[in-house]
Amino acid sequence: MAGTLESNSLWDRFLGACDRKASLLMPLPSMIVTALLMIFPLGYLLYMSLHDWLLIGGKSAEFVSLNNFVALWSDGRFRGALNRTGIFIVLGLIIQIPLGLAIAVLFNEHFPARGLMRTLLLLPMVATPVAMALIWVIMLDPNSGVLNYFLSWFGVESIAWLSDVDVVVPALVMVDTWQWTPMVALICLAGLSALPLEPFEAAMIDGANAWQRFWRLTLPMVWPTLLVAILFRFIDLLKVIEHIYVMTRGGPGFASETINVYNFLMGLFYYRVGYGSAISVVIFALVLGASIILIRARRVTW
Amino acid sequence: MVKAVEPRTAQGNTGLRKGLLFLLAMMVLIPFLFPFLWMLMGSFKEEIDFMAYPPVWVFKPTLENYRNVFVDNDFGTYTVNSTVVAALTTFFGLLFGIPGAYAVARYRRTGFALLILAARMAPGIAFLLPWFVLFVQMKLTNTYFALVTTHLIFTLPIILWMMIGFIEAIPREIEQAAMVDGCTVWGALFKVVLPLTLPGIAASGILSFIFSWNNFLFSVVLAGEATKTLPVAVFSFLGYQAISWGPLSAAASIITLPVIILALIVQKYIVQGLAAGGITG
Repeated sequence: MAGTLESNSLWDRFLGACDRKASLLMPLPSMIVTALLMIFPLGYLLYMSLHDWLLIGGKSAEFVSLNNFVALWSDGRFRGALNRTGIFIVLGLIIQIPLGLAIAVLFNEHFPARGLMRTLLLLPMVATPVAMALIWVIMLDPNSGVLNYFLSWFGVESIAWLSDVDVVVPALVMVDTWQWTPMVALICLAGLSALPLEPFEAAMIDGANAWQRFWRLTLPMVWPTLLVAILFRFIDLLKVIEHIYVMTRGGPGFASETINVYNFLMGLFYYRVGYGSAISVVIFALVLGASIILIRARRVTW
Repeated sequence: MVKAVEPRTAQGNTGLRKGLLFLLAMMVLIPFLFPFLWMLMGSFKEEIDFMAYPPVWVFKPTLENYRNVFVDNDFGTYTVNSTVVAALTTFFGLLFGIPGAYAVARYRRTGFALLILAARMAPGIAFLLPWFVLFVQMKLTNTYFALVTTHLIFTLPIILWMMIGFIEAIPREIEQAAMVDGCTVWGALFKVVLPLTLPGIAASGILSFIFSWNNFLFSVVLAGEATKTLPVAVFSFLGYQAISWGPLSAAASIITLPVIILALIVQKYIVQGLAAGGITG
């Protein structure tokens, strides 16, 4: 009898401790998991980047301090990939941001079936990217592809979308635009629908036309939202890889190889994990720098 | 009874204006939807129809491609693999994510939340590469464990971020009332907060499932023949055989259909989910 009481109170004390320490205990599992999943591998990545390490062939890792980074500096293939990533970012932003904003302005108007159309606009960004990239390969086929067929209506001759070194990057930007412009549009749409109506009503009473209302009112007011969209697109274009890897593997030659594709091939295809880790560290630094600059920019405009 | 500030140009012809806007929206939408149409049509085409130029729009549909995908290519197994991985990832994501989100929402552990955001910004390969090396050394590649573990890297942030929002939306007074009545903090979490955030749990769980299902880069590296998921399987159509476009279209349709259905259920949260994670470049 006394024993049960004893154990009861012990149990109670345990429960009480759990309760008092809940603010520490609750985040504990996810903190441990996060530390294991994310922080630990990043530390290990730094460790690997300081080694000459080939995962196949049985040779063990050799500490080379910063040699990988020095080699990276004079690696022409990396430089080329860096330039190409820059082109991806510039082309992508120039096309996707204005197009997304324009679509948002249009879908902010009232017309029949607007809700259904907004829903359908979601599809490119949720559909399995690999599957859709392969469908794009079919559509971009130079001989029997449907895109060349559409263009032939306008007298455009057959384009070798994915095998012409001059066309492959714009072609891949096009696929990226297809997939992610809806994201820009829907972020902007959320910003637009939150705008107050009064300034627009006042402007209309004063006789401002639609063009003036857009440039003088809509754009400045939606700018903070647009910056969020730019931030996400910038960072994701900096890391662009998936549809490129699926559609061209960075080819023909290296014509469509971005830094992230190079990183993937180096580390996980050629198994040069030391050098690959060094590339990862550089990309990580670039993404971090870009995020900080863009988050600052956002704060300044606020 | 005309409203005071109806646009002058629109007075009397709002019907026409709406019609024009509708047409314009349709024209914008068509390029975004066309690949889906082409995929679905292709999945019912015979191989010879793909070679035709100009492309054929009307043809005798065949189910041969779907038979090929399931009988000759074992997509049944890959579907099971994808489902198991996505379900386990989602389960563990919720298990770890909900208490974490509660802590952020109620005890202001914002540093922790920012860390999760950093995970969204970091390149996926920065996590994948070390994990790959470790899994190779531990002989754990080609296991569900490797896939679920790495998928958690992007699903946990989604679940955390979304659940923080949902939990913050619940008035604290409800939990406090429960605690006054003798409920512990844990009791409050399980008996009060969880039931009230069920829609949020469903939404973040479904998004987590979608992103795990869609993942290619992590799976192509870590999955072997026994654990191959659907995106990896459909990709191998490009490599092995001379491209068989019919089965490829059928496989793509099979993979995409469940995602689209799930996405329609959680459409309100998709942009939020993609902003918090899900893209693993």
